[in-house]
Amino acid sequence: MEYEFTLNGVPKTIMVERKDERIFVHHGDKTLEAEVRVISANAFSFLVGGRSCLVIVARDKDKKHVWLNGRTYLIQSGREEQRQAERGDDRAQKGKSVVTAPMPGKVVKVCVAEKDAVRKNQTLAIVEAMKMENEIKSPLEGFVKKIHVSAGDLVDSEKPLLELEAKT
Amino acid sequence: MFKKILIANRGEIACRIIWACREMGIVSLAVYSDADRAGLHVQLADEAVCIGPPSAVESYLNMDRIIETAQTSGAEAIHPGYGFLAENPEFARRCESAGIVFIGPNSRALELVGDKIRARQTMEKSGIPIIPGMNHVAADTAEYTVEARKIGYPVMIKASAGGGGKGMRIVCSEEELRPGLEAGQREAKAAFGDETVYLEKYIEDPRHVEFQVLADNYGHIVHLFERECSIQRRHQKIVEETPSPALTPELRLRMGETARKVLEVSGYNNAGTVEFLLDRNKKFYFLEVNARLQVEHPVTELTTGVDLVQQQIRIAAGEKLSLRQEDLVQRGHAVECRIYAEDPGNSFLPSPGKILYLREPRGPGVRHDGGVYSGWEVPIYYDPILAKLIVWAETRDSACARMAAALDDYVILGISTTIPFLKEVIAHQQFREGKTTTGFIKSFFENWREKEGPEEWLTLALAAAALDELSPFQKVAKAAGTEEAVHSPWQLLGRWRIGEKT
Repeated sequence: MEYEFTLNGVPKTIMVERKDERIFVHHGDKTLEAEVRVISANAFSFLVGGRSCLVIVARDKDKKHVWLNGRTYLIQSGREEQRQAERGDDRAQKGKSVVTAPMPGKVVKVCVAEKDAVRKNQTLAIVEAMKMENEIKSPLEGFVKKIHVSAGDLVDSEKPLLELEAKT
Repeated sequence: MFKKILIANRGEIACRIIWACREMGIVSLAVYSDADRAGLHVQLADEAVCIGPPSAVESYLNMDRIIETAQTSGAEAIHPGYGFLAENPEFARRCESAGIVFIGPNSRALELVGDKIRARQTMEKSGIPIIPGMNHVAADTAEYTVEARKIGYPVMIKASAGGGGKGMRIVCSEEELRPGLEAGQREAKAAFGDETVYLEKYIEDPRHVEFQVLADNYGHIVHLFERECSIQRRHQKIVEETPSPALTPELRLRMGETARKVLEVSGYNNAGTVEFLLDRNKKFYFLEVNARLQVEHPVTELTTGVDLVQQQIRIAAGEKLSLRQEDLVQRGHAVECRIYAEDPGNSFLPSPGKILYLREPRGPGVRHDGGVYSGWEVPIYYDPILAKLIVWAETRDSACARMAAALDDYVILGISTTIPFLKEVIAHQQFREGKTTTGFIKSFFENWREKEGPEEWLTLALAAAALDELSPFQKVAKAAGTEEAVHSPWQLLGRWRIGEKT
């Protein structure tokens, strides 16, 4: 069976075949054979050519956080464009930009007003988290189309702070 | 001994203090903000009281509320942990006048060591080596200019009320002095409400070596040797160890005696840490006293066998120190790594959010002081420290190897942490050779990004993600609207064969 994932914005496709306790994973031009045991709701044990590898998976909506050999992979189900289409995400639309906070936090200050002209790298807002203030800078030159938040608002890392429109 | 102690803190340090209370048969009273109702410290404590909204100013920094809670709940003492009210002389004074024991130094000593200029004056008078520089406040920029010339550039601007790198500035030439002073004063004013700054000689690429000291209420003072804390970013420690690879027995003896003397001349009691800078020529200078239990106290506990939190409580209860300097020895080597909710690949940006999965490392000589659990939502309001990983082994080499293995076993999923960064710090050749200075991170880890792993690991990770999509437990959980507590391995789905359509 074929699976499509996205890792750091890059699409990854694998084919997984299963025979009893063995799986055959086709990734690119390589095939990897492993014996698998389910340890718990979060853990798989793989034996690859006699080498033992514990893999831990935690889910968060369409994202899977996968840990193995001391390393963490953030894997999203499906393809990036596909998900954006499903979400009705217009971030990809040309000349328009939705600015989001890089982490969850509290809006300390909004430094611009709607219809303001902004330069690239101009500070648009300040979001504070864990005693650290972070300046949110403009990714483009243009003007402020819409502001979604005001000082004191709590935001998560996906909530739009404001929308910009590029100078034409 | 006290019957009940209020712990005016949260997270891992509150948990650490609660453990000590438990072992001593003392009832622990946790206080919490609305954001921390489900916090680990609330779960561990015998009693818990809400002290206000999430904002620290209205909760963990709310002196009236905390003292009132202690009084109404019958707690005889307050342990402040570190941060929040730990080094606030006003809080110590208010506890004293409310008849509640503040587990820490007396308010006068707190006041003295908290004022950097006064502390420098006191130390110099007692013959304790201080960094060359000013011991007074200058009247104007002209006076600072004269002083800077006397000291010789580069100089360091420091806030008198300072700490944590706030208000600190390096100035390399006279042109930079005025703007540096203005920025330093502004920052100091914002951080401490006091714009007083002074100048010190800038010591290039020093080591940060501190001594743990305990003083009872009767003038008996012992030191518990040093901690090397040179691995810092933004003036914040991230890796600590003891013994320091830089100290000889002779230097250790001299620094230890100096540390004892620092507390003696400050009229200090309870636990304190005397910080020194050690320059390239192994000359040491008094930096400041940290008048609290330190984040990195466990490395001292593991090598001396002394429980520092229990000692703090005993001293505060009026017991005499039973430790004698000549009986104290350092055994083996201990290393600590601080686990922060930060993204090390993205300028250490804070990373609050839900911990989806947590597995703490275990094994011989591994200690984990944590304040979080699987399912806990790390709040946006407080310091990003999640836990501390501490290891002990017979030698420095084996302690480093043990730390590397423990970090490899440490799983935190859902938020970014400093774990991948710490692994590379511990693995670094310079670190392994003990060549640690405060410039280490800047020299070797500026703009750090995690390297890509082997292709085969990625394939396995993707395979696990695919198997996870198949797992019936996922489907059951989705249908039930829960993602937890359903144990039904995907084998139960039945077996499929190669080539079979699904």
